[in-house]
Formats: sequence, C-alpha cells, structure tokens
Amino acid sequence: MPEKVIEVEHLRQTYDGRTFVVDDVSFNVAKGEIYGLLGKNGAGKTTTIRTMTTILPVHYGKVRILGMDVSENAEKIRRRIGVVLQNESFDFASVERNLKVYGMLWDVPREVLKARIEEVLEVFDLGPLRKVRAMELSGGQKKRLQVAREFIHDMDLLFLDEPTVGLDPIMRRSVLNYIRDKARRGLTVLYTTQIMEEADYLCDRIAIMNRGKIVAEGTSSDLKAKYGDLKTIHVVVSGDIDYESLKSKFPEDVIVDNEEIRIVSKNVEDILPDLIIYLKTKDIRIERISVEESSLDDVFLKVVS
Amino acid sequence: MMPPSLRLTARNLIINTDPGTLLFLIGLPSFYLIVLGLMFQALIPNVVFDGRSISYAQFLSPGVVAMQPFIAGSIGGSMLWSDRRWGMFEQLLVGPFHRIDYLLGIIYVSMIFSVGGALLMFLVSYLLTGFVVHYLVNILLIIVVLLVSSILFTSLFLVLSVFIRTIQTYNTVTMFIFFILDFASSAFYPINGRTPLGLRIVSYANPLTYIVNSVRDMMFARLTGSDLVYVGVVVILSALFFVFAALSYRKAKI
Repeated sequence: MPEKVIEVEHLRQTYDGRTFVVDDVSFNVAKGEIYGLLGKNGAGKTTTIRTMTTILPVHYGKVRILGMDVSENAEKIRRRIGVVLQNESFDFASVERNLKVYGMLWDVPREVLKARIEEVLEVFDLGPLRKVRAMELSGGQKKRLQVAREFIHDMDLLFLDEPTVGLDPIMRRSVLNYIRDKARRGLTVLYTTQIMEEADYLCDRIAIMNRGKIVAEGTSSDLKAKYGDLKTIHVVVSGDIDYESLKSKFPEDVIVDNEEIRIVSKNVEDILPDLIIYLKTKDIRIERISVEESSLDDVFLKVVS
Repeated sequence: MMPPSLRLTARNLIINTDPGTLLFLIGLPSFYLIVLGLMFQALIPNVVFDGRSISYAQFLSPGVVAMQPFIAGSIGGSMLWSDRRWGMFEQLLVGPFHRIDYLLGIIYVSMIFSVGGALLMFLVSYLLTGFVVHYLVNILLIIVVLLVSSILFTSLFLVLSVFIRTIQTYNTVTMFIFFILDFASSAFYPINGRTPLGLRIVSYANPLTYIVNSVRDMMFARLTGSDLVYVGVVVILSALFFVFAALSYRKAKI
C-alpha cells in the first residue's frame, strides 16, 4: 500500500462559528503523487491548504501530514514542506538576494545553495533578472521568483496555490514539467489551479471543490468518463447560415460564429448525419468538420453548476 | 546549525540594513546632538550635574544614546508591518520556525541596531564634545540597559504594527509617540523640583526618563542606589510589554 503523505478526514473549518467554508472534506494523497484541488473562487481550497500548512488550526476533523497530526506537530511538519502561496511574497531585495536569504532561512549549506540558485535561475528564466529588485519585477516574473524560491530547499511535500497565474504559456509549460520531474523523483505535490488544462496535464488525481465540499474526485479520465458525456460538433462552412432555421432544426445547444457552427449534445452520432443533410439542402459548403470529446473544463462546469 | 531565531535575525539585518534605515537610526539623534546641543549652548552655556559643570551638549549626549532603543524599536515594528504587507509574514509562518522565533528575530535585530547606534552616538558625542565614558564596566552596563530597553520599545511598536493597517498611520503614530516620550523625559533637561508638578508626573510615567537617567549616571560614572530603581523599572516594563506584544502578535492577521 503506498505511503500516505496527506490524510484529511472529515475536515470542517469555520471563520465565524456558523458557516463552514470547508465542510466535511476527506481525501488522501500518496507519496510522489500530484493531487489537484480545483474549484471556483471561495470554494474552500485556500482554507484547506492553510489548514494543511498549519497556518489555521483544525476546527473539526483530522489532518495528518507526513504521518504527523498537524495540531500536535506543526513545527516538525513545516520543516518538511514547501509552500507557494497564492498571494505574492518577497523581500525588498534583488532576485538573487531573495533566493540567497531564503536558502539561509532554510539552513541550506552554502555550496548546495549556490548550485541550486543557479539551477532555478536557469529553469525559471530569471538569470537576466538576478540583480533586479523583486518589487520592480512584473507580476509574472514575481510569480516565477516565488515558485523558484521554494525549490531552493529540500522538502517531502510541496503545496502550490495557483502558482502559474500571470505566466506565459511557454514558462507555464516549463514550470509544470519541472514540477512533474520533481514528483517523479518522489516529491508529493498538492496543486490548486483555475486552469483546467494544467490540472489535466499535471495531476495524477483531481478533486473538485464546491461550497466547501469535494463534489468529484478521481483521475482526469475517470472524471471525463463519469461526468463528461457531452460532445461538441465543430463545422466550418462557406455560405450564409440562417441561425433561426438551424436552431429550429437542431434544438440542442447551437452556437453560430461567422462561418462556424458548434453544437453541444449527448447524441452527436444522431445529429451529425442530419446536420450534413441540412447543410447540403441549404447549399452550404462544408469546409471542415470535427467532433471533440468533453474537456476537464466541461466536467468542471457540469459538476460545479 | 544556526537557531531559527538567529537565522531570522540575519535575514532581518540583510533585508533592512539600507541607507534609509541607517539615516533614521543615526541621522535623527545626531541632528539633535549637533543642532540642539550646539545651538542651545549659546543659551545654556553650562549645566550643573553631580556637582560638576558640564556643557549642554555633554548633558544631551546620554539623551541621544538612550533614544537608540526607541528608534530601533520603531524600525522593528515597521519590519512586521512590511512583512505583513508584502506577504513574507505568512510565508515565514509556513517555514521551519516557531511563531515566537519570528518575534525574537525582530527583537534581536532591534537590539543590534540599538547598541550599534549607541556606539556610533558615543563617537559622534566624542567628536562634538570631547566626551568620553571612562570605565569599560560603565559601557557594558549601558549596553545592558539598551538591550533591555530595546525589548520594551520593540514590543511596543510590534503591538502597534499588529493593529495599525496603513504605513501612513504607523508613521504618524510613531512620530507622535516619539515627540511625547522624547520631550516629556529627562533627555533634554533635568527633571527636578523646578519642573512643574504635572510635567514631573508625566516624566516619571515615561519609561524613557528611567533609561536616560540610568544611561546618564553610567556615562558620568555616578552610579547610585536610584540607578538600581531606574534599571528595575525598565526591566519590569520590558517584561510586561514583551508579554503584551507576544499576546497581540498571536492575533496578527495574515
């Protein structure tokens, strides 16, 4: 049986003593696993993370991190975890000094620290910015520094609370690959994001939170199979489309955008032949046609709404 | 392995030792000593202290030395405020430290600023007035008083920075307290029978008076039994303020 790094049992958290922002949440994360916690704003993700990282006390339920109860071993746990907060955090110093000071705070030996600084400066493309003061960086650059800084020290478990906000697609992919590489070497990661593609690409398992509860959990494929029974037909045509006529013929979810038609339905196999015949009778030429499986976005929308 | 509170002290020193902080630490007391000390000399040529006639600038020297814990404490308070504003407070609380380590990290750095500033003030005082503290033991006693006073003032400003939301308000309150404590103490003038009763009461309710009095006696090598009382008051107040700061700090919102 794989070693459990995170064990959350019936966690309930409240700020005012009346409403529960986290309400009966339970999940486990195994060693080396990347676990995605998804949910819209206010779903309870950050409160759950703050509890697991010992910032907030456990009100009801049980939370064990690396085999230790968070209520009893907060400091021991903090020595073995890394946390990239959702909000920006940095010292008023250059990029390089931020990394050096952070390494010193974690008591990283000098030679190791030197090598790690060079590594993260390269991976996170911060080399040309090493002498720039953190407060002068752009939002995306600050985020890169914040994520890079956490890889300066050793850890068994990493919490990443929306770490790619503001990053360009190339850097985002590079960061995700770096995290995946670390997980393959045994690092356990708890990852929250609003970007479903990221969760799909990175996470071994995903939990979707809504109003303080976990409403769906599983691998990306499991979730798509369970909740993603909708498919989308994309048709690119040349010729004028009469939206009203199309809508009356296909009362499903029809979207017309210039010369592109999109129909979302459970029964694409039935609709597709009818659509082709319809377009032919209207003398509309089909340029391209495709059918797409539902994405994690569709699953999320369905589960959360 | 360096203890966590010392790692945080080193971090605070590295991050906060900038020209602005040093100017505030050294510039303001030097300004007092140079401008007030020398300018008032035209008006107050000599002050009688312990049966000796000394210059006003010499009388003022212990006052500016004793100001250092106050100034260092206000810098310490602004460190907490700044860490909360820029997200480092929460980041450090999820790091490999106890909550109390963070508090100690700030108090230790205030102590360093306080003693470092005081030593520089001795130098400025010597250059301006030729004033020398003759006995090493007195310098050591002064350092002890300054260290204890640093706990008092840093604790006071930590409490303020927990409850004050904007840096403008923090600076305004700091300046207000600074003027009240400075001018209602024995830093600039002796508190004696000729001082109006109301002001005398305010002065003796002011912890800076006890710090200035003890530092002045130590600088002039005139230690008496009342210095024990002064130091005792400072120790008790420092302990009380530290407890108050530790309790308030637990409520510090992230």
